[in-house]
Amino acid sequence: MNMAPERFDAIIEAYGSRPERWPADERPAALAYLRSNSQAQSLVASYSALDDLLDEYQVEGLTSLQQHVLVQTAIVSESTILDRIFEWLLPRSERVLAWFWRPALVACLPLLCGLYLGNHFSFGIDGTQHSWEEEMFMLSLNDYAEPLQ
Amino acid sequence: MADDEELMTAIEAGDARAYESVVARHLQSISRYAYRMLGNTRDTEDIAQETFLRLWTHAHSWRSDKAGVSTWLHRIAHNLCIDLLRKDKSSVTSEYVDDYETGDSPAELPDQQERLDALRQALSNLPERQRSAIILNHYHGFSNRDIAHIMEISVDALESILARARRGLKAQLKSQLSSIRETDGTQKS
Repeated sequence: MNMAPERFDAIIEAYGSRPERWPADERPAALAYLRSNSQAQSLVASYSALDDLLDEYQVEGLTSLQQHVLVQTAIVSESTILDRIFEWLLPRSERVLAWFWRPALVACLPLLCGLYLGNHFSFGIDGTQHSWEEEMFMLSLNDYAEPLQ
Repeated sequence: MADDEELMTAIEAGDARAYESVVARHLQSISRYAYRMLGNTRDTEDIAQETFLRLWTHAHSWRSDKAGVSTWLHRIAHNLCIDLLRKDKSSVTSEYVDDYETGDSPAELPDQQERLDALRQALSNLPERQRSAIILNHYHGFSNRDIAHIMEISVDALESILARARRGLKAQLKSQLSSIRETDGTQKS
């Protein structure tokens, strides 16, 4: 299996100088190319200092985190549907806006329901019997004179 | 020890002991990834907690034929970190930042702590996807296909992002890298 020089350069530029981080299926060909080519060796050398520096950045494990994660999950799994609704309605957030928009949305629901119901149900008013013209005619027959005391 | 598939099936059925096993197995890797991405303990704890909460509540959405549990959890953590960083206005979000201010390089050789500080700063200056790609590749040893799956991109796009990340780090860490080369040269001679 042969490796094109351009592909080798691309592998080093992306994955660095350590063969264990190169793509597994291309590693044997890349290693063979590296052994036989001095330009490839100098390219790898130019990336090895960066990998050495990255190695120096080691992070300590957070020892108390495991217990914290387990406790939080237990709290969530034991919470009732009502708790979850309240949690959604009033999320624990530092952003003031987060406290308002969800309650505001819930407060709008009766209004939206009213509009929907009003549009779809006549509630006993039969619109086909009283057209606009009929309404005007009925109004014209009304006696608007103030009644005499 | 039970394998990941058995544990995930048990978690889906509500088995708390199986959940504890998976948390014990993957928590340190997830928290280290989040710490290197975010650079502070508080956000790291939040991301780790949310990641494992989703493991508990969404275990049914894991598919063994698509990704291993570790890859799946890192994908969740990656998405949470990206969301958090995008809320933070100071985070670099553009993929196409290749020009870095290198600052005033100290004349003397930096010691290890200074080098580490410079590296942390350089990592945090990288756009978030470049940062994530280099962390997953260098520190977590995932294959290129796994990283591409975690980041929801193609392998070709991943290689492009990784190459830009390494170029960015090299540009920012010129003086630190030359000091490592000089130390290596002194040790060899």
